[in-house]
Amino acid sequence: MDAFGMGLVAALGALATVAGASEDIESDVGSQSNPNSQVQLAAQVGNPHRIYNKAIAGEPPSNALWCATAAIMAYVLIQGYHMPLLFAAAAGASLAALFNGVMATSAYLGRNASQARFNQWVYLDIIRYTTPSIMAHVWITSFCIVLISIIQVYILTPHHPFPIPVIALIWGLTVGAVGSSVGDIHYGGEREFQWRLFGQGLNTMLSGQIVRKAEAGLRNSIDNAWFCAKFGGPCTGMGFGLTVFLDNWRTTVFDPVNQAGAAIAMGVFFVIVMNLYNFYCELSARRKYGPYPGYKGDIAA
Amino acid sequence: MTVGGGAGGAPQSIEPKKLRIYGLVGSVVGIYLAYILNSVTGTNIFSFVGSLAALFAVVMGANAVRRVCAYGIGTGVPSIGMLALGMGIVASLFGLNIAEQLGIGILGVIVALVYSVIFGYVVGLIANRVMGFNIPIMEEGLSDLSGAGTMAIIGWSFAISGSLAYSAIVTNVINTGFLAIIFICGGLAILHPFNANLGPDEKQDRTLVNAVMVGGMSNIATGVCALLTLGLPAGMVQIVAGFAVWYYFYVWFFRLAKRDAAAVVGTGLLPPSAL
Amino acid sequence: MSFDINTIIYMLEIIVGGLLVGIGVHFVPVGGAPAAMAQATGIGTGTVQLAAGSGLTGLLSAGLMMSVTDNLWPILATGAVGAMIMMDSTMLTGSWIYAYAVGVPFASAKVNYDPITTFSQPPYVAPGTVGQGIPTVCYVSGTIGAAMGGIGGAMIYYPLVQINHNPAMSAIFAIGIFMVDAVLASWNIQGTIEGFHDPKFKKWPKAFKSCLVATIILAIVAVLITPLGGI
Repeated sequence: MDAFGMGLVAALGALATVAGASEDIESDVGSQSNPNSQVQLAAQVGNPHRIYNKAIAGEPPSNALWCATAAIMAYVLIQGYHMPLLFAAAAGASLAALFNGVMATSAYLGRNASQARFNQWVYLDIIRYTTPSIMAHVWITSFCIVLISIIQVYILTPHHPFPIPVIALIWGLTVGAVGSSVGDIHYGGEREFQWRLFGQGLNTMLSGQIVRKAEAGLRNSIDNAWFCAKFGGPCTGMGFGLTVFLDNWRTTVFDPVNQAGAAIAMGVFFVIVMNLYNFYCELSARRKYGPYPGYKGDIAA
Repeated sequence: MTVGGGAGGAPQSIEPKKLRIYGLVGSVVGIYLAYILNSVTGTNIFSFVGSLAALFAVVMGANAVRRVCAYGIGTGVPSIGMLALGMGIVASLFGLNIAEQLGIGILGVIVALVYSVIFGYVVGLIANRVMGFNIPIMEEGLSDLSGAGTMAIIGWSFAISGSLAYSAIVTNVINTGFLAIIFICGGLAILHPFNANLGPDEKQDRTLVNAVMVGGMSNIATGVCALLTLGLPAGMVQIVAGFAVWYYFYVWFFRLAKRDAAAVVGTGLLPPSAL
Repeated sequence: MSFDINTIIYMLEIIVGGLLVGIGVHFVPVGGAPAAMAQATGIGTGTVQLAAGSGLTGLLSAGLMMSVTDNLWPILATGAVGAMIMMDSTMLTGSWIYAYAVGVPFASAKVNYDPITTFSQPPYVAPGTVGQGIPTVCYVSGTIGAAMGGIGGAMIYYPLVQINHNPAMSAIFAIGIFMVDAVLASWNIQGTIEGFHDPKFKKWPKAFKSCLVATIILAIVAVLITPLGGI
């Protein structure tokens, strides 16, 4: 364990936190992944809307694509043209953002055109001013992930044996999985449906009845990002940051060659602590919110 | 528009059999054509033909996704694309390697294709018999998908390595990690078209045009990789070819979306019926 | 290619790894799209995605460990721990959103009593939904599933590196095999499951059979692939 290694691990954690947060906000601006099923449904139950519909194959594969794209560009620039690491990562992230723009617009056009019979229009101004915001968030995500991969392969000891694009692919899949598991709940459970009763999930009867009007005018996806950036994004960042930080911390503090047992035990300790923390969350939520008043059955414990 | 194939699934104007023949023949012929052009001229500038050959496979795969997913498989469209490419990676590496071990290096493409089609068929059988999906075209669709994934991987690997030799593929595509981008780009090229056009008014031509569009984008990515492995000229040719394909089909896709949409407006409120 | 006892062992390891992935997917509590609206218990995403995210994080850890040691056990344990850390931090931060943003008590609609905490569940299930949040039993189940996925990924990776001595190739190959098994298992559970207490969990023998057949076909070719200079 050395101070430099610890600093790098801290940097990895910070980069991962930023990547996670921007990943989640990107999926909210574009309305991707699971909550998008309600946006898709809205037009079908008679609620055409002005929300972006960026259905790119679920978050994990799409983020894996952005990160892998950025990684190959960075790798080519580093290995083939001996560019500085930061510049290479930035150039790669730019290519990834362009790819994202293509996929996002094609998904918006395609999904809305496939709902012609429900009178869902295609609004070109939405493409024009929402797509750059989506691309900007992808830039941040893929930049951070590529930097994480570069640090793991070139700088942090022991060097990771996988090539940069493969590491970026795996971290991309992971950040997408975290983003779609964590941040999406804030978007789907809180922001899309603001006329459900507070303190319960969405009643199935309300499916598709998304909020379409904003404080002034019609709601668009940028309004959703504004909301989700306050809690959903940071939580996602926390989830992904914890993953990257804890996983690398234990192999940096404990030398994996002759202290492998300690590194593994440390990981198991983290897992147990997180299990207990979740139990505490469940306990406090049950105690504070209590059972639902409509329940008529027996409550014998 | 005619309902073809008797599949009972998605309406289609181009028969799946025809598309399968186009896809398989087009990709195999394209890869060998690129190989021959490269070896006859002694350069690697024609590697971009391999990347174009992969587009045929992508179209076939996208059509297979479209047919299978029209039945609803319970886990969304993305999983099936990942499955296709997961099978494809194993099949393509195996085909190229085993052919070289047996001394028939050039036939590796065929070996990989045969293995992948058989494997796809077995997975389809499992899905129908063991898990009880009862989707009549499952075996057929998964054979198509697996074959398409394999041919796309081999085509793009050729575009990066400029050779069908196993050693060249390992050095240029696998050790550098470029297989990762082929894996995910190929996967998205196969699954994104149907996913992006999902809806009751989905049209086959729009989906397939979208597939070629994403495939063209993937060619740009493999072109960037080729900058490192094949040098500037071959890489640039590939990027330019990919960009041309992407641009042409993106404009075409936009035209089809305009044709199919209820209305395409510059800006505006909700449709009058919904206010 | 030489076929000896080691080859058989490698093949068996790959098959066991694939089976662990296939069964591990059944433990992961995924609610699919409804869970993202707090309409169903579990994590609001797809099975394949979450299993891949955690299992491949485990693969990254296992790959790092494998670069410094050849001993099987630390590699498997590291893979499991890496996957568990990813899954647990995901579920934990997800729980924060359920508890502090959406404001729901965690409850499962599939059982009347949580088998681990013995808390009563039906009073806490909101009307019009099938549960919400991640109760303790789901959390523990997810941790087990992640551990199995991580061990499975590492178990596929380990023999591959022994065969071809190429971490890059083994990693991408392991991703391929992992994806096939994860997708087959998620087809078996039809998208959503709550964990080992869910009645759907009883369907696991089907996934076992399917993954067995698929992985055998994959393992046979995986052990036949020779390293670069070894033809």
